[in-house]
Amino acid sequence: MARTEEYQLNVGPVHPSTHGVLRFLLTMEGETIKDVEMIIGQLHRGIEKIAESRSYLQFIPYTDRLDYISGMTNNYGFTKAVEDLAGITVPKKAEYLRVFVMELNRIVNHLVCIGSLLLDLGAATMIIYGFRERHKILELFESLSGARMTFNYIRPGGVRGDIPEGFIDKAKAFLRDMPKRLDDYAQLINENEIVLMRMKGIGMLSPEDAINYGVTGPMLRGSGVSYDIRKDDPYSVYEELDFKACTRPECDTYARYIVRMDEMYESLYIAEQALDRIEHLGGPVKAHFPRIFTPPEGEVYSRIEAPKGELGFYIVSDGSTRPYRVKIRSPPFCSLQALPQMVEGLKIPDLVATFGIVDIALGDVDR
Amino acid sequence: MIFENIYDIIAFILSSAGILQRMQSYSDALGIPIAPKLIIILVESALLLVGVALMVMFLTWMERKVLGHAQARLGPMITWYHGLLQPIVDGVKLLSKEDLMPRRADKWLFFIAPMIAFVPALLVFIPIPFGCCGAIISDLPMGILYVMAVSAISPIGILIGGWASDNKYSLLGALRAAAQDLSYEIPMVLTIIGIVLITGSLSLQEIVEFQDKIWFVFLQPLGFIIFLVAAIAEMSRIPFDLHESESEFVAGFFTEYSGMKFAFFFLAEYAHLFGIAAIMTTLYFGGWHGPMIPMIPPIITSIVWFTLKVLVIIFFTMWLRATVPRVRVDQILDIGWKVMLPLALFNVFITGLLVAGGVL
Amino acid sequence: MSIQSELKTRFGDAVIETYLQKDGKPGLVLKPEALLEICNFLHDSGFDHLSLISGTDYVERMEVVYHIWSYARKENIVLKVKLDRENPVVDSVTAVWRGANWMERETYDLVGIEFKGHPDLRRILLPDPWDGHPLRRDYDMSVDQYVYIDENGKDVVTQDASKILREEALDGKN
Repeated sequence: MARTEEYQLNVGPVHPSTHGVLRFLLTMEGETIKDVEMIIGQLHRGIEKIAESRSYLQFIPYTDRLDYISGMTNNYGFTKAVEDLAGITVPKKAEYLRVFVMELNRIVNHLVCIGSLLLDLGAATMIIYGFRERHKILELFESLSGARMTFNYIRPGGVRGDIPEGFIDKAKAFLRDMPKRLDDYAQLINENEIVLMRMKGIGMLSPEDAINYGVTGPMLRGSGVSYDIRKDDPYSVYEELDFKACTRPECDTYARYIVRMDEMYESLYIAEQALDRIEHLGGPVKAHFPRIFTPPEGEVYSRIEAPKGELGFYIVSDGSTRPYRVKIRSPPFCSLQALPQMVEGLKIPDLVATFGIVDIALGDVDR
Repeated sequence: MIFENIYDIIAFILSSAGILQRMQSYSDALGIPIAPKLIIILVESALLLVGVALMVMFLTWMERKVLGHAQARLGPMITWYHGLLQPIVDGVKLLSKEDLMPRRADKWLFFIAPMIAFVPALLVFIPIPFGCCGAIISDLPMGILYVMAVSAISPIGILIGGWASDNKYSLLGALRAAAQDLSYEIPMVLTIIGIVLITGSLSLQEIVEFQDKIWFVFLQPLGFIIFLVAAIAEMSRIPFDLHESESEFVAGFFTEYSGMKFAFFFLAEYAHLFGIAAIMTTLYFGGWHGPMIPMIPPIITSIVWFTLKVLVIIFFTMWLRATVPRVRVDQILDIGWKVMLPLALFNVFITGLLVAGGVL
Repeated sequence: MSIQSELKTRFGDAVIETYLQKDGKPGLVLKPEALLEICNFLHDSGFDHLSLISGTDYVERMEVVYHIWSYARKENIVLKVKLDRENPVVDSVTAVWRGANWMERETYDLVGIEFKGHPDLRRILLPDPWDGHPLRRDYDMSVDQYVYIDENGKDVVTQDASKILREEALDGKN
């Protein structure tokens, strides 16, 4: 019998498939992974520390830079915590606008995730198609907020401003067009023999382990746990909208991929309903929110279903204009912990595939 | 005056320029016999080299354009008409880059590895008939064996490059390359046996002439499919591009190469692509055969036909690259040994039966 | 019976007080010694999702807050332990929820709370030799700390910016 020696392979922080500055230290035997150590923190900017010296309103732009792919949901996560803290009621139209942009943001996130996953698998085409659709959504966002990635759109009390002229038509045209595009992509990928070979049965994570690791979002639903905060712990106006939580029981990478695909259809459906109500609702899009805002003393923890999983903001207020402590529960930070178990005994290409579908943004992991 | 043969054309040009006569006088004066044939072959080789280089440049441009349009973008557009001069700009860029070498690299091996990879990719073209009327450097009697033997040298260059770089990514990429090339060389050669059984000759010229009436792709459909898959693996194209697999090993065996050394690996890859597509055309698509157009000399039409067929095959591989992801390393070896090899043997068996039975 | 009162009756002494968070989530302040036992009990009674571990420095004390959610009961519970600021040590709940691993490491890294029984308590976001815990109230933000990698590949923290510049200049010369 030939004897092979274990060796260490360093992947990252500068590597094509680590999606940022994550670093893996792999213990390998041949091409088989024995152990993974993840070294994070290269993008740590101390956002939680920054929060302590900013007012509540000033901190919202920082949330855009957490998970830089889905800034809208981050805005909302923090906004919701502040609203919970101060008991602000938000006009209906603003809530529907928020839901609309958040669901489109979910599509953006999933397109980027699936695109970069397939890029890592070697199929470079999907990411460019994905970015094409992303571009259309970002144009809608730009007309709303003036920015393409760092929106600062959702604020305590409502949203930045009302919809511009012609927005409804543009959004409708997009919503009409998008399902066809998604069908195209599903046709390109879903039944592709090599995609199936690469993703089926890879990166298994049982529902028990997923729950125990604190894995949330599409990752958890891909393990067969039907848990969606929008459904199970509803916030905003999700209770008034019709949608379902997409779940797959297979627990592998392919299941997680399909969950994301399905969620995009579901998000389109939600966005359609929300847009319909925006069109017919009048009134303000912003409740009064004082310039010098002093919330009552106390603690609050609010969770929302961000595209990547459960995004939570824990705020401690001491009654001054600045939060005493802000703690961010970022979804990929928790999901990433399950990676060593998912890839143990697999090959490097499987690590790339499994890691790709965990869908991290290092800005969110490192904060 | 109508020339039937490339040899004649070159001889005519050389002698009218007085070069042949002068060489003759030199050889007389030196007392060393230099046959005019040798000079003509040298000129032919130079022509081939230029042709291959132009083709490789064109292929790099075509790859970008095909991928670009498949991915809903334009590809290079700035340099001249639709970016046609892009390869030259790239070449200048690569030449002007710093030539880096890792401190602990094996300097000598690191230096020669790109050449070992590049030269066989050119040597492959020697026995391939590009057109009728002697558009061939040398019609070797065992041409196909020579082609297989020479193209099997390239992985050695890759392995040396990967080893000499003193980098784990390079080494792993090179080992993958060696494993993959080994496993796909065998089914490839076995499918060629099917063709050789039918033609009874190893010469590529004769194989092409045999396909005057019917192409081998129709006589050997199974063999063709096996050859196609093996060829894509040999060309190291997606879905079998484990040599590079940039999402896993950064750039595989040439991670540490830069500047002109990198360019040599790059050129070798495209020359290899062209070479294997040319072999496939020769073996399965009737080589230069095609409807001849009156008024145009057959030598030109035949070369055009050959080039078109090669480009169609290469277009297919590029199309594939835009569509499918990469196969995993153990899956690729599984396919090679557990599927392709038995199928190739089966193909040889069936062909043997048919030939023995007098059907073919 | 709500889980809050259930815990109150079952672990009477260990629960110092019950409270409601500003957003209505029921909370309990626990004695640090009883934390692990109560967490085990909670996990067994269906509170299977540890959403967040967060440490806060209140100058006169430290607090660690656990937000736990039950998938089956769709209920929240918040646990809080108050620790001595000079010696903030609390039991690790990694054995109950494996997901607590990185969250505890992060709390250790940024707030400086030690988790007894944690399998791998190291800094996670900051480099190992970093001085101080940034999310403490008394962390001196006027002191810059620079990180570079020495010849052995180890992270080194220095307060002298010229140190890094010199290293880079040396690299250029080589």
